[in-house]
Amino acid sequence: MTGYVLRRAALSVGVFVVMAVLTYLGVAALPGDACTALLGRFATTEKLAQCRADNGLDAPVLQQLGDWVAGLLRGDLGYSVKRGAPVGELMAPRIRNAMLLAGVASLLAFPAAIAVGLATGRREQSKVSRTVDTAALVAMTLPEFVTASVLWLVLSVWLPILPAVTVVSSDDSIIDLLPNVWLPAITLAVLVFAHVMRSMRASVSATSRRPFADAARLRGVAEATVVRRHILPAALPPTVNVVAVTAAWLLTGTFVVEVVFNYPGLGRLAVDAIADRDTDLIVALTLLGLAVYITASFLADAVIRLLDPRVRAGVGRS
Amino acid sequence: MSTVDPVDPVDPVDPVDPVDDIDARATAPRRRRRWLSVGAAVVAGHVLLALFVPLLPLQAPTAQDATAVLQGSSGAHWLGTDDLGRDVLSRTLWGGRPSIGIAFGAVLLAALLGVLIGAAAALAGGWLDDVLMRVNDVLLALPSLLVLMLMASFVGRQPVVLTLTLAVMYAPPIARLVRGATLGVLGRDFVVAARLRGAGSGEIVVREVLPNIRGVVITEVAMQFSWILLAFSSLSFLGLGTTPPTPEWGLMVAGARTYITINALPLVAPMVMLASLVLAVNSLIDRSALGEPS
Repeated sequence: MTGYVLRRAALSVGVFVVMAVLTYLGVAALPGDACTALLGRFATTEKLAQCRADNGLDAPVLQQLGDWVAGLLRGDLGYSVKRGAPVGELMAPRIRNAMLLAGVASLLAFPAAIAVGLATGRREQSKVSRTVDTAALVAMTLPEFVTASVLWLVLSVWLPILPAVTVVSSDDSIIDLLPNVWLPAITLAVLVFAHVMRSMRASVSATSRRPFADAARLRGVAEATVVRRHILPAALPPTVNVVAVTAAWLLTGTFVVEVVFNYPGLGRLAVDAIADRDTDLIVALTLLGLAVYITASFLADAVIRLLDPRVRAGVGRS
Repeated sequence: MSTVDPVDPVDPVDPVDPVDDIDARATAPRRRRRWLSVGAAVVAGHVLLALFVPLLPLQAPTAQDATAVLQGSSGAHWLGTDDLGRDVLSRTLWGGRPSIGIAFGAVLLAALLGVLIGAAAALAGGWLDDVLMRVNDVLLALPSLLVLMLMASFVGRQPVVLTLTLAVMYAPPIARLVRGATLGVLGRDFVVAARLRGAGSGEIVVREVLPNIRGVVITEVAMQFSWILLAFSSLSFLGLGTTPPTPEWGLMVAGARTYITINALPLVAPMVMLASLVLAVNSLIDRSALGEPS
């Protein structure tokens, strides 16, 4: 296990480094930069040249890449030309807010999704099970901004239970932020619930028809034990993967939902940064997302190895 | 996911448990067919509307009327007006054109790319297969909305740019599926027979492989169509897709949120249209092909 963890960790770091360089070069290769965005239509050739010289944007790309990597190693994520502040300072409060949002949404969604998936997966053909599945499919299919707007319309406009628009700034305390976290968290929870629940349902229903489950039943093992000892360990691994991916998405991919509710998290920062062509900020946010995804998939693989002896032994892989 | 079109006289061996199959056939079809025809009607309605909306006797979707702002439903404006006094009914009916047009263009390109790359990787094998599939994996791992936003912000929001970006971002799942399905067919006797007959790779793909994997590929392409539709309308919602004043559902929803307490119709109408289209497309995709683990 230790050897596996080390190998996997080394691989993850390698993937991250390669992707980081590609991301930097990819964003640098896009036409337009922070200066064209900052100066907008008032840009003259001289002003642009001045702005680029001031911000080190006139150096060759590889030299900029070198400076950026050297900065990263010192813990310097870069400088936002548009916002006139270091990227790290801009991101810190947003990371905290994103974690709060992702945390609340996770608590609302994951336990419920696994429980409901387990229950409905065992009676796949029942009416309740099918209805729940169809509802989840609808939730997965609708655009996020539609789901978000419907919840907003119902929960804060027609039945004013929750505050409608976030008026807090990004570095308010968690207590100030808390009332505003509910609507985006509920929206995200609905989407995540649908994905995880359907995965769990499908994998439980497939597993409970497997010969080993029938064999256990025929041996006279109580159904509760069959579920706990035989079905769950075999059904969980695919869902663990889905949980990892959706958790990573909750932390860094919630662009639309944060914009709908004006929530000061990482998603809205990313949308703003992209609209402003704020390259350093875009690269830093992309890398953060990448790191979160790589870590999540690393953790998921480790958990699956712990859960599933077949993976440890290397069987069942073609 | 190595599902092969059941219309296959050569190899009757089916990996699915026959008992399950009979079960599924006995219980599912009637309900499924009814939903299928509802879905087909809704999709057809949307497509016809997108094609022929200019012929309808509607007010111009961009015509503003400062004297009739944010009105409720009336004889003159069945769905009321928005904050610039524009007719919501007209804008809602016109609002599907940008998304449906771009999604159709993008999905056709994505299907073409996906089939070419997937079949090439499967047939070539070796290093070419490895390279194509690793590139595919990288594209699959990229968050498509992020890439779309970047392209829209840095390169431009022209339909050509967005269509090409969407096609490249949504081709990888199709390529992966086509590769897998093609590999599943390549070892079969009729392909071997064609090879022995001296058929070239191109001929084998077109005459032996594609007819056998048609079903799964069409399902996958339909799925990607609905994802592309979602991605594009989300992009518009975020203000990086369609440019105002062109009517587009995502853009309309984004604009209507500020005056929701005065008039909810400009928010609800485009949402109903978008939701009905996406749900109908998905109802056309066979449920059995969706979301089940392979």
